[in-house]
Amino acid sequence: MNIHPFFKTTVLLISMLMMFIPDGASARQAKSVILVYLDGGPSQTDTFDPKPDAGRDIYGNFKEVSVTNVPGIIIGSKLPLLAQMADKYSLIRSMTHGVNGHETGHYAMITGDLSGGDVVYPSYGAVISYFKKDSYKGILPPYISITAANNRFNEGGFLGNRFKSFDTGGAPEKTTFEVEGIVNPFISAEKFNQRLQLLNAFENINPYFKTSAYKQAIDSMRQHNISFIFGEAGASFDLSKESKEVRERYGMHRTGQACLTARKLVEAGVPFINVRSTGWDTHKKGFQRLSDMLPELDQALSALIADLDERGLLESTIILCGGEFGRTPRVQWEAPWNGGRAHFGKAFSYLVAGGGFIPGKVVGKTDKTGEEIVERKVYPADLIGTVYLLMGIDPNGTLPHITAGLLPVLPSLGKEGQSNGLLYELIKP
Amino acid sequence: MKKIICMLLIVLSINTLSANEIDNIVRNTLHQHFLPCGDEVFLRRTFLVLTGRLPKSDKAVQFLQSVHPEKRALLIDSLLDSDEYVRYVVMRWGDILRIKSEFPSNLWPNGVQAYNRWLYEQISANVPYDTFVRNLLLSQGSNFRSPAVNFYRAFIKKIPENIYQNIQLLFLGERTTPFEGAACFDQISYKTTKEWKEEIIYLDYAQKPRKKTVKLSNNKSIQLQPGEDWRKQYTEWLTDKQNRRFAAVMANRLWYWVFGKGIVDEPDDWGAHNPPSNKALLDYLTDQFIASGYDTKALLKLILNSGVYQSSHAPAGFYIAQRLPAEVLIDALADLTGIADEYRSRVPEPFTFYPKDTRAIDLGDATVSSSALELFGRVSRDVSLESQRNNTLSARQLLYLMNARELEERIRKSNALSELCKQEKDIPGVCRAITLMTLSRFPTDEEMLLYRQYAQKNKVSVRQLASDILWMQINSIEFLYNH
Repeated sequence: MNIHPFFKTTVLLISMLMMFIPDGASARQAKSVILVYLDGGPSQTDTFDPKPDAGRDIYGNFKEVSVTNVPGIIIGSKLPLLAQMADKYSLIRSMTHGVNGHETGHYAMITGDLSGGDVVYPSYGAVISYFKKDSYKGILPPYISITAANNRFNEGGFLGNRFKSFDTGGAPEKTTFEVEGIVNPFISAEKFNQRLQLLNAFENINPYFKTSAYKQAIDSMRQHNISFIFGEAGASFDLSKESKEVRERYGMHRTGQACLTARKLVEAGVPFINVRSTGWDTHKKGFQRLSDMLPELDQALSALIADLDERGLLESTIILCGGEFGRTPRVQWEAPWNGGRAHFGKAFSYLVAGGGFIPGKVVGKTDKTGEEIVERKVYPADLIGTVYLLMGIDPNGTLPHITAGLLPVLPSLGKEGQSNGLLYELIKP
Repeated sequence: MKKIICMLLIVLSINTLSANEIDNIVRNTLHQHFLPCGDEVFLRRTFLVLTGRLPKSDKAVQFLQSVHPEKRALLIDSLLDSDEYVRYVVMRWGDILRIKSEFPSNLWPNGVQAYNRWLYEQISANVPYDTFVRNLLLSQGSNFRSPAVNFYRAFIKKIPENIYQNIQLLFLGERTTPFEGAACFDQISYKTTKEWKEEIIYLDYAQKPRKKTVKLSNNKSIQLQPGEDWRKQYTEWLTDKQNRRFAAVMANRLWYWVFGKGIVDEPDDWGAHNPPSNKALLDYLTDQFIASGYDTKALLKLILNSGVYQSSHAPAGFYIAQRLPAEVLIDALADLTGIADEYRSRVPEPFTFYPKDTRAIDLGDATVSSSALELFGRVSRDVSLESQRNNTLSARQLLYLMNARELEERIRKSNALSELCKQEKDIPGVCRAITLMTLSRFPTDEEMLLYRQYAQKNKVSVRQLASDILWMQINSIEFLYNH
């Protein structure tokens, strides 16, 4: 084949130019995911999909809304800080899976699997740790939950325990965030060393394991842990290293300090961080409870997005916020609910930001009352698949199963009624 | 001189060890003499294998100081008759029967409780294995009142193919199986009642068989007649003495439960692609199991009384050291500190809290868990494979044992340790008591010296010494492994 020299030169020039464009394929690759998981099922009507014109049976006690800094987008009145920065994130108002039970809702929302098959799929945190197992070199575990994963089902799925989350335990809002196994206020370094010496001496004279084949491997794991405890790993959880202003910006509560920890873990390169906030199952006296909970979320999440942005980390960090489902748009005023909302898997919202997601947009639309989706259904597999894509993982790839061979990463992706296509409209070309 | 006496003692003990047929077969294949294990190793190993618990200190002392010539055989008998044995076996069956309230088995807490209770009764009565399997597979009725029917409920998709595949895996070790035999389970039907979460499993006798003649694994065929319970023909074929695979799979599973490695390994992967490592041994165990009338306790007794079992850990002996299973380790930490984890079920709401002294072994529900249990690889009960239990020690697990605030708090607060310090008064007494409860043996002279030097050098109180030694022993390889 004859190729014109001019054409060759042009191609070469274009290729060279592309190398200098910072926002090419490489920028498409997000490095970390922070999932701010609102466990229990947050109300979309009171947060990201308000219906101020739908009557009191829908908007309940929150008729007011927050007008955001993006023309045409309004959000709930209890989220004024997030309203000032709607150009930094996008909203999906048409999430759906139709599941109304907590644990099956969790399963759908954190595995993306709606296939109803006989296989338990791993959570996306586990899948991301699996695919990053060779490239991620950090000392911290690749998948960390603050303070614990949901564990309502086996989150490692068929990938096994190795890819489950590391639960920090402890309470980040306390003076010392006592991360299980890493930060132990009861034991000084001196005491720790004394004990280690005792252990070594014991095993050197121990009649059973003096020459054990295990000893070498175990000694090296112990050594690894010692550098872990006293090295940078501990520092990543040490919130006292942060200024008072920064800590207060996130809020001196569980969600705030957990989000601040998440930022520190992003800086340490951890690929998946699950900030699990509980208490969103607001069946009873929902508006009272949300009046307490939403300002904390508003403060924490807005600080997290702004802080990552200021540090130049937002482009490489995906932030997601949502729960296992939403709540019924129609308020249950009667006793025993007294103004609560029930589980609703038919139509709910998620916030997405950073990591290659286009900000300032709204995807999908619900009807006047919010009970039906009228535009662009988004299924769990569509959202998770898009996250995989941004993380450089092929959403159509496969995972190894012990007896069944290779299985699709997302069994529901591309299937009628379980998927409606990846969110290409929300990612930068 | 000391060496010569030691050698003599070893030779003597090898000769006096009652070699049974298992030993002859293993010796004929491996041509190797195995160093017998000491009493303290035998004691700890046997408690762990049969009950998933460490021996209590008084029991340990009693056994170690006994001069009864049959004391090992007697210990095996008494443990096989213990309640703890039954509970531990219920847990093992619960793993492979996938007993779980929520996803993916979805048995719901009442179903889980009834199912566990039923298992407990079957194992407690040492119901012959073939009868046990028939009781399980031929069950019908309510999930609360005929608990064995929960077997047919523990599926995401309750279709004959999935049920059949699971049965073939559990009782014949078949990982992939042709679906023809699934027809035997076509009649199984489900209906709900007015009682919350009750489900009735019944047979739809109006059904016509998909095929009149159904071919099963070993080229045997059975006839399905309208109006009969088709499961019966299948179960008769399955549990027939002629079907040696049925007995062999369970004999091998028992071997696996004792040694952590099957003669066919993995124990649920049978077929030409995965032959037994010692066919003569497997044949012998299978014969014995059938001849005993499928008596699982009798087979365990035979295995545990062998010299192979009572040998030292590899390479000098046959036994392969294994890390303590998650529940066993977590329960041991609760016993040693006297402070147990608290467990709760998130269904039904409001949350149900388990009694404070509930053992992890007795939870009976993989939906109920804790971070520590998850960390040490507790089985999630998603699939019926023994390999789901991962007992490999990881750095993250060691991190918990070395430095978890939660564990350290329990060691510090432990009334059990404080009481022990009060009772024993002096350093040697405290060291002896801790070593007995943690490692099931007396400390050596060298160790005693080490502890004394440690206390002197670091100027620690007796109570602090107790904490330090317990921490150290919990972190030692000797504790973490069943060896």
